[in-house]
Amino acid sequence: MKSYQAIRTAPAPDSAVVRGPGEVAVRLRVNGETRTMSVEPRVSLLDALRDRLELTGTKKGCNQGACGACTVWVDRRRVLACLTLAISCENREVATIEGLAEGDTLHPMQQAFLDADAFQCGYCTPGQLMSAVALLAEGHAGDDAEIREWMSGNICRCAAYPHIRAAIRRVRDEQGGSGAAD
Amino acid sequence: MTQTTPEPGVDTGVGSRRSRVGAAGKVLGQLRHVADRPHGGCAHVAVHRSTRPHARITSIDVSEAAALDGVEGVVTGADLYKVLGDRMFTGPAFSDQPPLAVDRVRYVGEPVVAVLARDVATAREAAELVYVEYEDLEPIYDVADALAERAFVHDALRPSVVFGDLRHLSGKTETNIAYQYNLKLGDPESAATQGTSVGFEFWAPPVHHVPIELPATIGWVEADRLELYSTTQTPSYVRQSVADMLGLPLSHVRIRVAPLGGSFGSKMYDRLEPLIAALAWLHRREVRMVASREEAFLLTTRHGAGVISSMSADADGNLTSAIADVRYDTGAYADVGPRITAKSGMIAAGPYKIPNVAIRSRCIYTNKPSAGPFRGFGVPQVTWSHETLIDELARARGEDPAGFRRRNLLREGDESYMGTVMHSADFVGCLDAVTEAIGWDKPLDRGSGRWRRGRGVAVGIKAVLTPTVANAVLQLNQDGSATLMISTVDMGQGSDTIMPQIVAEVLSMDAERIRVVAVDTDVTPYDTITAGSRSTYHTGNAVRGVAERMRERLVDLAAKRAGGSSRDLKLTADGVLNTASGEVYRISELIHEHFGARGATLTEEFNYTTSWQPYDKETGRSAKATEHWFAGAVAVQLLVDRWTGRVRVEHLVVAGDVGRAINPTLVEQQLAGSAIMGLGHALFDELVFDQGQMLNSTLLDYQLPSVKDLPGKLTPIIIESPHATGPFGAKGVGETGIIPIAPAVANAVRDAVGVRITRLPLSPERVLQAMDEAGVEK
Amino acid sequence: MKPPLHQPTSLAEACELLDTLEETMVYGGGTAIQILIKQGVLFAGNLVDLSRVPGLAEIEETAEGLRVGPMTTLRRMETSEVVRRRVPLAAQTYGHVANPRVRNTASVGGNIAHGDYRLDPPTALLVLGARVELTSVRGTRTVPIRDFFVDFQVTAVEPGELITALHIPAAPAGNSSTFVKMSSLGENDWPAASVAAQVDAERRTLRLGLGALAHVPRYVEVPLDGGGVDAAVAAATAAVEPELDPIPDVRGSADYKRKLGLVATEDAVRRAWEEAR
Repeated sequence: MKSYQAIRTAPAPDSAVVRGPGEVAVRLRVNGETRTMSVEPRVSLLDALRDRLELTGTKKGCNQGACGACTVWVDRRRVLACLTLAISCENREVATIEGLAEGDTLHPMQQAFLDADAFQCGYCTPGQLMSAVALLAEGHAGDDAEIREWMSGNICRCAAYPHIRAAIRRVRDEQGGSGAAD
Repeated sequence: MTQTTPEPGVDTGVGSRRSRVGAAGKVLGQLRHVADRPHGGCAHVAVHRSTRPHARITSIDVSEAAALDGVEGVVTGADLYKVLGDRMFTGPAFSDQPPLAVDRVRYVGEPVVAVLARDVATAREAAELVYVEYEDLEPIYDVADALAERAFVHDALRPSVVFGDLRHLSGKTETNIAYQYNLKLGDPESAATQGTSVGFEFWAPPVHHVPIELPATIGWVEADRLELYSTTQTPSYVRQSVADMLGLPLSHVRIRVAPLGGSFGSKMYDRLEPLIAALAWLHRREVRMVASREEAFLLTTRHGAGVISSMSADADGNLTSAIADVRYDTGAYADVGPRITAKSGMIAAGPYKIPNVAIRSRCIYTNKPSAGPFRGFGVPQVTWSHETLIDELARARGEDPAGFRRRNLLREGDESYMGTVMHSADFVGCLDAVTEAIGWDKPLDRGSGRWRRGRGVAVGIKAVLTPTVANAVLQLNQDGSATLMISTVDMGQGSDTIMPQIVAEVLSMDAERIRVVAVDTDVTPYDTITAGSRSTYHTGNAVRGVAERMRERLVDLAAKRAGGSSRDLKLTADGVLNTASGEVYRISELIHEHFGARGATLTEEFNYTTSWQPYDKETGRSAKATEHWFAGAVAVQLLVDRWTGRVRVEHLVVAGDVGRAINPTLVEQQLAGSAIMGLGHALFDELVFDQGQMLNSTLLDYQLPSVKDLPGKLTPIIIESPHATGPFGAKGVGETGIIPIAPAVANAVRDAVGVRITRLPLSPERVLQAMDEAGVEK
Repeated sequence: MKPPLHQPTSLAEACELLDTLEETMVYGGGTAIQILIKQGVLFAGNLVDLSRVPGLAEIEETAEGLRVGPMTTLRRMETSEVVRRRVPLAAQTYGHVANPRVRNTASVGGNIAHGDYRLDPPTALLVLGARVELTSVRGTRTVPIRDFFVDFQVTAVEPGELITALHIPAAPAGNSSTFVKMSSLGENDWPAASVAAQVDAERRTLRLGLGALAHVPRYVEVPLDGGGVDAAVAAATAAVEPELDPIPDVRGSADYKRKLGLVATEDAVRRAWEEAR
């Protein structure tokens, strides 16, 4: 038997926006720039970045949220671009690997990956980097156990994991401690 | 940019830990893979796939698909056959694989119809609107079904016309055995009746490579030429295969490759290329296909393999006999299965001195996706057998498994049971290195209660692919920089990094000034394949050879300039030095003077080809089965949770004899990386089939080692036993680490909890079940 | 499927859309829906996106505990100070879902609406006695979480309804709790067995939430009669055993998962007990 309370909000006039199913104009902020494109609502952020904005640094590995190759940041938090709709990122800040370096200066994590040879083929590297930088910001690089827990979900099939861990440790130590908690 | 450019004078030659070429592009997200090529205006391809394991196609209705808005074309196997005839059947050993099924489907997921459309979503939607009617044939799900011979995957065998040694199989009917290799030495059956013997039935399941980069091929036609841009380890092979299929001269087919995002054997031979080539050629259109992850699982797999085997030793602890019956499940199409069957079969008794050996190794068709090359080329499956047998034989004799192996291992100069003499394969050195690093002789705290500790060891042997061909072209630019043209594909192993180190060593120059040209069959010379750990040795020798020719050329130019002989001339970092006069001729000046032009190039080329002696028809032996051997060993220490069956590896040590490490950092990465991949195969990695249907072909279900699965400690060890004819003594390392991992883990589980498991993987359930069956107390 | 995306800007609008449109599905964080779309097994004619409806992503401290908006990310449940303080078991359990990328996207409401038997949060919510607030044009009703998971991927959410809040009572003073997750293949895999356990201050009652061990998450309450931890483990495993009805798959047979469920139960009870000391 169900019992109902009165609905708390009075019905409003129909002001809902229907988007799609055809292509709709979507405006994104990507790496600090405003980009406009036309996509169907079902298009993922990953496909939008790669196919519409030609930002191919973000890689597709499984398209099901299992490999981590497409890790990007939305509002400074790491997410899987393949499980995020482009349309749901309107008015939010998207950051990809292409925006990690400051001009000609590599991000310290990029430099650490170079110095530690933290890859072989390099295909998963953009996702690993976007995760690794976020990991420090989240304050989860205290020790190897934490790095292990918090880098899980970024698969490296070449298995350069020991070198990736070494790179993260180095940046953590240079920054002092496990980074700031979010 | 803070890319690490070595200071002048920093060694970037052989043995240096020079940083990886292209690393900056990798961390900046600038490295372009094949699928990153802009694709405005091209047609996207999607495939309608078979839902039946084995059936005759009775009708195909493409009308709804063709009518969908945005669809440009719908193509069936019959359409291709009309144009290409039997040429549409391709494959590296057998010409049995069509790009689209003709008349008959042989596995669930086989491509039946291709759709070209303006975008991927439309193409996929149209592919779902294709309706195929089938008449089911009896399916062959596994090798037992196949050997029962109630039904046949192929009506007749179609070995490739290219290989003389397969000719006798052509047209053979009523068999599911594509190829059989036999080795016979002495009298193993009677020898096995003396002393101590152990025997088991082993199973190593099919697994998948899962490089994170998805396979992708883009094809287009320029005038009368076909061009492909593709994820392949075998550009030279693909050029030939596509040229044969389309009836084009090699000059009219161009294959280009971007660095691969991993491959491990999955992007070899005929994958997406024949289909895309045919569609591009017939439609005169740029067509593009990037496989989805589920599709990538269907493109190729690692052979599941069963081995029924035994091994015997005499009272003194010397091996006397080994018998192995090896069955490789090659799926619906042979691919390179027949080659794997022989190459791995011939060493199925391991790297040991054994006077009596019988091996039968068979490549067997079933109604499953085709199995092909995978890092290790079939050897891990037989190593699973011989390294378990020898361990158990040692235990049966009450001997230390490491010591027992050590006594029986092949040594330099020994003629192995397959007839080839051993050189530069330091099994003993590898075994000693891993046992020392793991503390094999130190007392072990075996744990108590729930967790029990054990140690295990295993040794591996593999032959390099032989015969093969490698070529290198070197252009020395007038300014002293150089351009190297080879067709080795860099897929993470680092060939673009080490090949310049070889040139740098010979020419006394900085490797940073040498660029390796991206593989392009219009430009870069023929190279058999980038696989089987063959490039460091073969292409490395071609590169060394071309660099040496260049050195001679420079010395000749200097001699001409000096107006005399080249006797006292020597190439140094500063130029050609006259050791008598102390005079130095700078390279830039020598080349400028020779051509009278700035920016001119000196060009040299070099070929390196290895040969072999085919197996004796009666004995399967060969005095030169291979150009050289890989030797490796693994030791592990682990804990077993007796309540759940879960294995936790505390320390894994992997050693490989690489002859000479051209770049030790890259060698360590290959050893460690292949060990971790192998650990997945040992513990959980497995493709599960039910009635020919793959059950776990997504990364949500298929298991890959993550950072969480790393051993507590991982120690890669480089062993250097220089090869007489390797470039600076070097040979490859890509597979060495993966070969002995699974048996080392199983031997350690045996040590910890007393159970012997002969089926991979050692999932917690399997370990627990074995403990239950053995009545192990918990 | 090519469903349009509706973006209502008020709760009432969202309810209207769910009432009038055909084949609707609520789009929260989207992680589960995205996977279903890509696997070709999502059959929705219309997606109703809640991201523009104000007030659905709030965590409020209430007299009894917490009121959590359905669009709250799992990551916030894991890191929020108030969640950690009032319901530490919930914070711990939400922190074990998949990995941080998924937790940054997936929503509290979507997570339970998905109704998957393997999810981690329901185990804790069952133990804590949470309640699910459901709203439609017909009004608002509340369903105890222990009645929420009806069958395999079927929940108590009726057509036209959407989850508007999760009420989580604060854990009683002096209790102790933990969450244990066991995989059977890779360490990073979905769980093959998970157990949330809570023991009260008086050690009178053990509350257990089981994940991945039947076609729905299951709740088991175990009365204790004052023995030590060994007696509690014996009582817990005896009570849990008849509830175990795992689905066999590539991760293990039903028999193995049953064994793993009992080990996870024992581990969870012992750890909760130790916490209490």
